[in-house]
Amino acid sequence: MIEIKNIEKYYANKGVKSYILRHVTTSIKQGEFVSIMGPSGAGKSTLLNILGLLEEPTYGEYHFMGEDVTAMKERQRIELYRNHIGFVFQAYHLIDEMTVAENIEAPLLYKKIPGSERKSRIADVLDRFNMVAKKDLFPNQLSGGQQQLVGIARALVAQPSIILADEPTGNLQSAQAEQIMDLFKKLNQEEGITIVQVTHSEKNAQYGNRILTIEDGVIKEDKATRLE
Amino acid sequence: MFKLNLKIALRNLWKNKGITAINIGGLAIALAAFILVMMYASYETSFDKENPNYDNIYVVGVTYPEFKTNYVAAPLATAIKQNFPEVESAGLITGSSFELTIKNGNNTLFTKNILVADYSAAKILNIKPNSGLLRPQGDDRLTYLSTESMKTLFPNKKDNKPEIVGFGASNSGITGTIAGAIKNNTHSNFKFDGVSIASELGKNDNYNMNAYTIYLQLKPETDVELLEQKINNLYKAELLKSNKVTDVKSISTFLDPLANLHLRPKAGNDAAYKILIALSTLGILILVIACINFTNLSIAQAAKRGKEVGVKKVMGAFRYQLTTQFLVEIFMQCLVAVVLALMLAELVLPSFNHLFQVQLSIWHFHNGLFWQLPLILCVITFIAGIYPAMVLSGFKPAMVLKGNFSTSKQSYWLRNGLLVFQFCIAVVFIISLLTINSQLKYMRTQDVGFTANQVVYIKNLTLFNNPSKLGSVSFEPLREKMMNIPGVKSATVATYIPGGTNGVNSYSANGITANIDFVNVEFDYFETLDIKLKEGRFFSQKFKTDNVNSAVINESAVAKYGFKNPVGQTITGSGIDYKIVGVIKDFKSQGFESIVQPTIYTINDPHGDYKTQIMVKIEESRMAEVLATLKSQWSQINPKDGEDFRYEFLDELYGKLFKKQEQLQSVFFAAASLTIFIAILGLFAFAKYITTGRIKEIAMRKILGANDLQIFKLINKSFFVMVLIANLISWPLAYILTKKWLETFAYRIDIPILPFVLSALITILLTIITVTVQARNAVKANPVDALKYE
Repeated sequence: MIEIKNIEKYYANKGVKSYILRHVTTSIKQGEFVSIMGPSGAGKSTLLNILGLLEEPTYGEYHFMGEDVTAMKERQRIELYRNHIGFVFQAYHLIDEMTVAENIEAPLLYKKIPGSERKSRIADVLDRFNMVAKKDLFPNQLSGGQQQLVGIARALVAQPSIILADEPTGNLQSAQAEQIMDLFKKLNQEEGITIVQVTHSEKNAQYGNRILTIEDGVIKEDKATRLE
Repeated sequence: MFKLNLKIALRNLWKNKGITAINIGGLAIALAAFILVMMYASYETSFDKENPNYDNIYVVGVTYPEFKTNYVAAPLATAIKQNFPEVESAGLITGSSFELTIKNGNNTLFTKNILVADYSAAKILNIKPNSGLLRPQGDDRLTYLSTESMKTLFPNKKDNKPEIVGFGASNSGITGTIAGAIKNNTHSNFKFDGVSIASELGKNDNYNMNAYTIYLQLKPETDVELLEQKINNLYKAELLKSNKVTDVKSISTFLDPLANLHLRPKAGNDAAYKILIALSTLGILILVIACINFTNLSIAQAAKRGKEVGVKKVMGAFRYQLTTQFLVEIFMQCLVAVVLALMLAELVLPSFNHLFQVQLSIWHFHNGLFWQLPLILCVITFIAGIYPAMVLSGFKPAMVLKGNFSTSKQSYWLRNGLLVFQFCIAVVFIISLLTINSQLKYMRTQDVGFTANQVVYIKNLTLFNNPSKLGSVSFEPLREKMMNIPGVKSATVATYIPGGTNGVNSYSANGITANIDFVNVEFDYFETLDIKLKEGRFFSQKFKTDNVNSAVINESAVAKYGFKNPVGQTITGSGIDYKIVGVIKDFKSQGFESIVQPTIYTINDPHGDYKTQIMVKIEESRMAEVLATLKSQWSQINPKDGEDFRYEFLDELYGKLFKKQEQLQSVFFAAASLTIFIAILGLFAFAKYITTGRIKEIAMRKILGANDLQIFKLINKSFFVMVLIANLISWPLAYILTKKWLETFAYRIDIPILPFVLSALITILLTIITVTVQARNAVKANPVDALKYE
């Protein structure tokens, strides 16, 4: 699904290049659940941003579902967002002025999905996440864990083939974090959605089936988690 | 999706209620001002536009070395019509020079302005009586009265039949026929109480009698410049033929389109046009300032909306969709502002109409507002919204979603630049207003050279040119009767009163021939007006020759003719060799804008004007009593004028010269207060955002030991600097503008320094107050709350 070869990322500041990523080469197959780990400033988030097409590598090749995305135009990239990529953020990034239902509906609007189908999909997702009663609340009326659930629901409703999650549990208490990670695992196993998450926690990383460890912009380790 | 965006917009606006109100309110006020200005401008520029031949009508004027005039000799019209086929028709009009009393039984009408026109002119200028325009037979005149005048004379008249009326006093025995009513179009250069239409005018006039104004209707696609040249040549040739004028080189004719007549006639001043331009500029500037508020606040809010943009982008929104969303949001606010503005404009309209002496109405279908408003709405949406919309929609999701995102650096220069611009304009307005105030104060307090405040001007129809004009009587019996009333100090009569226009005639002396102002007066003229003598003497009954060939001239005339010892010298004009008996000090009979003209005062003048303007000086304490006596005895005092005693106070008449400037003062007062108000509104909201944005910095500084005062200083500093810069930029600009304005006065103040200092003080003070009020919240906040991790 994802093929990256020799990805480099650096910022030039007064002639001095400061490298974020160096010679990163890896591939992620359909249906994998990959955790990216590493110390702060190692380049985990940058790698995830590059995978999600939010940032461009300074150098290197990137094929997403067989297509070369480095040569992609803005419009094609947006098409990918609409149909294949779902994002989950550490700070949830729900739109404050929209209710839970409206937040979940937003990506469907951009996909131009007809109203009746939108309604049934939202109802479906709300039902699955046990949030029907909360659908008319605004994000600031929810707890962090609930907000993150909405964030995941929003990513899922567009039926993406891959979910990119940047420290999805970073702002949550451990009980809530566990709930979110269980959900990811379930989505991965039952629906075959590819998931790539950045995490600090060894425990959360164990939910996936592969761990990429990055240090100083270089992949230090790439191993499968132990099977349960 | 539109519905959802609408919801977001409304929720967002509601969340920031205060800012939204400021934004919309400020814009609405500015828009209201703009709407009024626009209505006024379109009213002022469309005088006579209903005339189907609007674009083809020209007035013929003459340029003399000293001045330009639209009054020319009647034969020229015939000559033009005969010689130039491109002239469709040529007509003559003139105004009547004095008031007329018309009576029907007990109903009395005083007409101030009877328009005299020949048939062609009436046709060209679209002057249509209600019963239709007819060509009078032979030398007959068809006289029509305006609908309002008709109402006064014949309150119960329903039909359009002619009526017999009496002219002058009821015992005069003069009667005439009123052919019917005519609608007076107030939106025209030709306003009247009545119209008198002749088949032909000026048949027996020669080229020495410049009594009429010629209107030409040209055939479409006429080369106007060529025709102008041809008429010029024709006029010179005709003048030479008539043998009256020898020096035609310095005289030329011009054509002035009807479109220019109201605002900037070539023969006249273009003050109205300048005021209109100034007003339009003010309107546009105020609107721009309000739009800037919008832009600034939207950018300031950008940080809050950044997350929304980032999220929407990763969900698959195109940039144009986001741009549209933000533009629609701003459009909605502008729409509300337009509606509010219309209401505001409606509220202010009565005072506006009063100030500018117009009858404007918003709900008038023809005023163009119906298509202009939607256009304005789009334009302001574009001006106010395009930059924020572009900035917001251009955010890179990776940047805004990372968390600590602030826009304050990105648009720093633009925002501050806009703020400085707003204050620049405010400063210019304040300085202008203060300068206008000083000049007007100067005009009110400065010695004008004569005293008008105890002088009553009495309207009168009797001619006192005895013996030089037919039908004239002597003023002496009147004077005697009036002087018998206790409290009357002196009485006189003249052709013109101070504050009105003087006549112009050619006089030669000392080998110089020039057109100078003349006023024909009676004894006691100078004493009544308290005009100061420089040398020689005033007119006096003791000198038998005074009402034959004596003249008094003013200082300017002395300078004009280069007299060394003027008293006793001779000055020739009107076929008389006048002996100069006195020189008076210049007095400002024409106000402060024009320089005092060389003027000659004579009693006997065969080529002069009618002496009808009676002026009486009355003791101030007995004013009411004397006026009552005059009123009751008027038919005995002035039997030829009749029983109607009508008067005005001369100082009020003279005060009308200041009217335009007083209008300007009101306009600048409104403009300056509006700009400051809107700019302060913007600053108020802007300072709020700045302090919210710096709340962490403020908390840090407090923890590091800064006290409240130091923090106030810190926040105020950048605003203080901006206002200071704005002042520095505006000063030269304001200096140039006020200088230009002051140059329109012949008598003016030096540019004062005080307005410049005051404007700086006002703006700085207002800024500090506004910012400090806003900063209070940030300063009072507990640092712990601000530094908490979000």
